[in-house]
Amino acid sequence: MRLDGFFLGLSNGVACLATCAPLLVPYLLGEGKGLFRSCLLTGQFLLGRLLGYLLFAMIAWTIGNKVFQEESLRPWIIGTAYVLFSVLLIFYGFLKKTDSSCPTVWKQKSCQRLIAFWPALLPVAAGFATGLSLCPPLLLALTGAAAATSLPAGMIYFFSFFLGTSALFILVPFIGLFSRFPVLQIIGKTAAGIMGFYYLYSGIILLIQGWKGYE
Amino acid sequence: MNKISAVHVEAQHEISLGKTILLCLPMMIITVMMLSHGQVPADPASGIAFGIAFFFINGIFFLMIRTGETDRFRSLLFVTYAACFVISFISHLIEERGSMAISRADMIEGLTPFCHMVIPMTIIPAALTKTIIFPGTIIGGFTSIVSVFVLWIGASLALGRGFCSWACFFGGMDEGFSRIFQKARIKSIDSRFTYLPFAVLLVVVLGAAATLSPVYCEWLCPFKTITEFAEITSVKIFIQTIIFISLFIILVVILPALTKRRTQCSLFCPMGAFQSFTNKINVFEIRVDPDKCIKCKKCMAVCPTLSINEETIARGRTGITCMKCGKCIDACKQKALFYHIKGTPLDGGHREICRRLFLYTAFLFLATMSGGFVQDAIVRIIKLITSGSMI
Repeated sequence: MRLDGFFLGLSNGVACLATCAPLLVPYLLGEGKGLFRSCLLTGQFLLGRLLGYLLFAMIAWTIGNKVFQEESLRPWIIGTAYVLFSVLLIFYGFLKKTDSSCPTVWKQKSCQRLIAFWPALLPVAAGFATGLSLCPPLLLALTGAAAATSLPAGMIYFFSFFLGTSALFILVPFIGLFSRFPVLQIIGKTAAGIMGFYYLYSGIILLIQGWKGYE
Repeated sequence: MNKISAVHVEAQHEISLGKTILLCLPMMIITVMMLSHGQVPADPASGIAFGIAFFFINGIFFLMIRTGETDRFRSLLFVTYAACFVISFISHLIEERGSMAISRADMIEGLTPFCHMVIPMTIIPAALTKTIIFPGTIIGGFTSIVSVFVLWIGASLALGRGFCSWACFFGGMDEGFSRIFQKARIKSIDSRFTYLPFAVLLVVVLGAAATLSPVYCEWLCPFKTITEFAEITSVKIFIQTIIFISLFIILVVILPALTKRRTQCSLFCPMGAFQSFTNKINVFEIRVDPDKCIKCKKCMAVCPTLSINEETIARGRTGITCMKCGKCIDACKQKALFYHIKGTPLDGGHREICRRLFLYTAFLFLATMSGGFVQDAIVRIIKLITSGSMI
């Protein structure tokens, strides 16, 4: 275990929690599940982040760090991820029906079918999108991972960084204790939908930036 | 007075002229001190403004006590207050800065007046970082952070969410537009929309904690249109400007006029949602007498904030979002709705006493908040007539 990666993550844990909370808290409230189910959903969210980090590690090792350090390329990567994710989030917040008893799945819209087919898609995608934020600590972790001698070593560095950043997330599933208030479900889902618009805006702005940089 | 209004006034408890004057006397003494600041007006314009403000405010209170009607007269002062606030505030800004737009330099100097809408967003960042995420001044200057916090705590303890109908200068805007037409053009609003302000509250509170900036003020506050806004120096600020102007036109002008509801306050405002929780600690509430209620749903139809539905009527009270404006009480011909003080008996004998105690508290807030703006706006209108400029 690379302890420097862990401590780097730990020292940035509050910032990571603050970045993810506006997304994760409304989502957990919207789901309205109990403590254990909320633990599972938080786990799926963190899995998405881990996948994002490991993808970074893999690309950084294969192509080199320049792909992420490159100013002109960064907006394209994050912008695309944000736009795709925002569509899911807006769908979840404003369009998804809470009653999933309808057996005619084939009649449902594509987003609905997708979520019905793989319920973990949304939390995993949310974790993945927030993991792509390329914030200064993550760029620092990229530099640290670049010093690794092999791909597995680089991935272990990112894994330990991920563990450090996730320490404070242990508090988040306690939101599940509010699941007995059904009103919070509506509020949480609507808030998640509003966050979707914010991510859509951020994604479009990033893509415009990328396009202008390309020109 | 038309026939329906006359019948309605008769249905209310009208009291004698002598008793009315006696009940209005404390308000007159307080307002004369408050409006004059214990000094003789310095110039004729200030004297005229003082006279008009004094008689207007006390006339409204007199009518409330005399007729037993609350909302009709409250609304008149509340909307006037909002209009006078806009005249006074914009004139001040132009006097101080020469423009409604605030520059980056002024923000860094801490010259942005603190607004109560920011309060919910400041709490988590203040707890985490010991800083107030707003470019204003802590003490001193024009509307400092401490003064607004003290005023808000006082108003919350005294009125709960009644703050939104008796003290908030922004509330008077959509209230004014909601009274433009006689009848609502859009009659039904999905009750799920009433949760939207709480969702906006959740987003802006978490967003402010994540970005350490007042996200609602930056992105969403429609009232920047008639107060102050950031100077357009980038695409981001340009987009923010389009968003808040659109929200103002839709939520404060068009929807209130079409629905006859306070749509910005009841379907969007995060401060209003936050303020709803203070109804739990405030002693005043509106109750429904199940013995008198004939389920005509008139109160549901007129409630500007959609705070009354069949479920709340069955529970004998209004919803948590109730702003205590008194519109439902005025509309109920059966007198089934009434102001009540928590912990006191619900029987009919105490109802008028509860109403008067509420009115003294709430009206004093309204008079305090509006008095200065009304006087200043009158002075500026006189200036405009005599010199051709408000500044």
